[in-house]
Amino acid sequence: MKKITAMIIALVLALSLCCTAGAKTLTIGIAQFAEHPSLDNCRTGFIDGLAEAGYVEGDNVEYILQNAQADMGLTQQIAQQMAQECDLICAIATPMAQAAVNACLDNGKPVIYTAVSDPVAAMLADAEGKSALNTTGTCDLLPVEAQLKMIRAFLPEAKTIGILYTTSETNSESQLKLYKDLAPAYGFEIVEAGVSMGADVPLAMDNILPKVDCISNLTDNTVVSYLAVMIDKANTAGKPIFGSEIEQVKNGCLAAEGVEYISLGRQTGLMAAEVLNGAFAGEIAFWSSEGGDMTYNSEVASALGIAIPAEYADGIDVTK
Amino acid sequence: MLELRDISKVYSPGSVNEHVLFRHFNLTVEDGQFISVVGSNGSGKTSMLNLICGSIPADEGKIIINGKDITRVREHKRYRTIGRVYQNPAMGTCGNMTILENMAMADNKNRPYNITPGINRRRVAEYRAMLSELGLGLEDKLGVPVSNLSGGQRQALSLLMTTLTPIEFLILDEHTAALDPKTAEIIMQLTGRIVKEKKLTTLMVTHNLRYALEYGNRLIMMHEGNIVMDHADEAKQALKLDDILGKFNEISIECGN
Amino acid sequence: MNVLIGILEEGLIYSLLALGVLITYRVLDFPDLTVDSSFPLGAAVSAILTVNGMNPVLTLLVAMVAGGLAGLVTGIIHVKFKVRDLLSGIIVMTGLYSINLRIAGRANLPFFNMNTLMNNPFVKSFPAALQPWSKVIVVLVIVLIVKVLLDLFMNTKAGFLLRAVGDNKTVVTTLACDEGFVKIEGLVLANALVALAGAVMAQKNRVFDISMGTGSMVFGLAAVIIGTNIFKNRQKVNSSTAAIIGSIIYKACVALALSLGLVPQDLKLITAVLFLGILILGNGLKKKVKFHA
Repeated sequence: MKKITAMIIALVLALSLCCTAGAKTLTIGIAQFAEHPSLDNCRTGFIDGLAEAGYVEGDNVEYILQNAQADMGLTQQIAQQMAQECDLICAIATPMAQAAVNACLDNGKPVIYTAVSDPVAAMLADAEGKSALNTTGTCDLLPVEAQLKMIRAFLPEAKTIGILYTTSETNSESQLKLYKDLAPAYGFEIVEAGVSMGADVPLAMDNILPKVDCISNLTDNTVVSYLAVMIDKANTAGKPIFGSEIEQVKNGCLAAEGVEYISLGRQTGLMAAEVLNGAFAGEIAFWSSEGGDMTYNSEVASALGIAIPAEYADGIDVTK
Repeated sequence: MLELRDISKVYSPGSVNEHVLFRHFNLTVEDGQFISVVGSNGSGKTSMLNLICGSIPADEGKIIINGKDITRVREHKRYRTIGRVYQNPAMGTCGNMTILENMAMADNKNRPYNITPGINRRRVAEYRAMLSELGLGLEDKLGVPVSNLSGGQRQALSLLMTTLTPIEFLILDEHTAALDPKTAEIIMQLTGRIVKEKKLTTLMVTHNLRYALEYGNRLIMMHEGNIVMDHADEAKQALKLDDILGKFNEISIECGN
Repeated sequence: MNVLIGILEEGLIYSLLALGVLITYRVLDFPDLTVDSSFPLGAAVSAILTVNGMNPVLTLLVAMVAGGLAGLVTGIIHVKFKVRDLLSGIIVMTGLYSINLRIAGRANLPFFNMNTLMNNPFVKSFPAALQPWSKVIVVLVIVLIVKVLLDLFMNTKAGFLLRAVGDNKTVVTTLACDEGFVKIEGLVLANALVALAGAVMAQKNRVFDISMGTGSMVFGLAAVIIGTNIFKNRQKVNSSTAAIIGSIIYKACVALALSLGLVPQDLKLITAVLFLGILILGNGLKKKVKFHA
């Protein structure tokens, strides 16, 4: 289905290029909030997606890449500058998306965001997923339900799941809320520990580990950057950590039902192409990743003495 | 009247550096007295001034001004009736502020520092007159930051600022020691004039024995936290430089120097 | 032109913060780290009140009061409990983080669909030619009001005392004034200004974010030092003007580094090099002035 859509888009695009756009080169700004493997994957996917739809770098589009290095002041300045110089902005991660939308509020240039966990809470979209502003994008909200189901399959006896999150990340808050809403249906209780900076993670782990049967990660960049410490402590306690994406499983988490960011970025690119072809971005509802790329780490599993449940045997083993 | 009663002060008590500065020290300063205080380094002259002003607390004893016990009164409150000029000319003025600003600020002492204009224009002519009396040419430099002045000019300004508003006690802490002899002479003459005009009760610590003799109506010499010489009025008038030097040698020999 | 507008918007808003830092760092000689959290405090207060329907201009005033309270707490901790200046600031900065979260209710509070300080019927009624400059105009008006009031204040009796405390606190004490109290006053004033900067920033960005204060103190210091360094030998330029210009120059450096279009990773390094260049250039000019004199 997606391929067909893409092909149609590409066709329409090719036609429109022949008929109207001519040789005009479009400037697309890719504004990334921070340096992070997932976000980098978004960027790669985005460029691929646009190329797939006929917008090829050096051919008919050129890219301006900026990275705010998680600096809020810089985020604003990059957004403002891009709002002037670019025909379309791809904003990666929530703060950048908000800054870009705000910067383009007056001139109405399109902003396509990605890696935003909760576009509604971030006021980038209304309850129907659309917007009065010229913006749309893709959402990387965790497939929490799938994750809970998976944890239940791995640990039939477990009662509590520990979650570490950064109090400064709205995305983490909404993910946590989702966990809390859905956990009872799977017989789990959520024990949370909020940190205000990465350096608090080791202490928070010491505090939370005795109270829980396992840890499950959000896509919380601050917490995840301390993953090595977390895994160390969890291994000592003999409790597994479930990740939120493949990179974490590679680094020592037991398993994850996660978002695959390259394809998220690719989808974003396709949506951007649609907008470049003349659609009003606000009319397009944002797109959520359905998740479902289950990954596990068989070495970690055997170290912890946990068997891979039969129904997940066809997942991706990152050690192979 | 200012009284120090039974004052004891020990620095770093209980440590190897323990140093007993005062043990049951007593001093009474009558109103209108101008006391010159001399003594070797470490004899407790400046510490005595700091005790009076509240810059350091006393371990024991009482400090009484006009019958009121001020031993527990905080330093800044004591300055309501006390004016003080320090050895370092930079201590008495604000270098980044102009002469005019410094004087206007000092002129407001004991009144509220609120959000009315800092400079009262009607007073400027008066400031200028006071400055020109100094004969240092400061009257033409009202808008100049004080940090641009020489040490002597700053010290003269400090003295002027300290005595701009009514005070009862003037504390002079070696206030000519950092100046060249000629400037020191000017500042000393100015001091004498102001003290006489305003009838200030004055305590002046100095290393210059000639000034100690020439100015004031009482002279005390301190040594190791005790008063070893105390002459007032006629007895002080009769005092000669040799008498003081003799006493100095006597206590130095006792110390084994 | 558009880049210039962006620089002025950002630079002018941050200049309010720079004025706050000017008071603590230059006037009071107090390295006040409260700034890093009183900036988002102002933003949080302004954002939540705007979301609840308060007039954006009023939210600025409430934000200033909140910032003033933060400064008051730092001051009391430092003066009454004799905690070192840096540490008092750190204590309040740490505590305010949670309070900011409580005030805003969440770490990121957007209000795109509200009337804001720079986006309301009044601003929209500016002539079309001025529309691109509308935010700059609004911020400029605020900055000018603050600057004029601050300059006036610095020449009142209370202002004299504030300047004296950072210059030579012995003078303040011998004038029978409590230097601790004057310090607290200065901290209240400074943090009120910093909170105002945060509030105006939230109004412009239409979002409050808990992490928006990170690095504020460093920014303010850089702006004040760049500004005062450039105008060191020009007596006619007072320090508040210098701080405002310093802030704009800082943002211009960042904008220049951005538009050089080099590898994003190198951005901060290039910004740093630009700062250094400006400081050296400033020193060079000074030498020339001296040579002629």
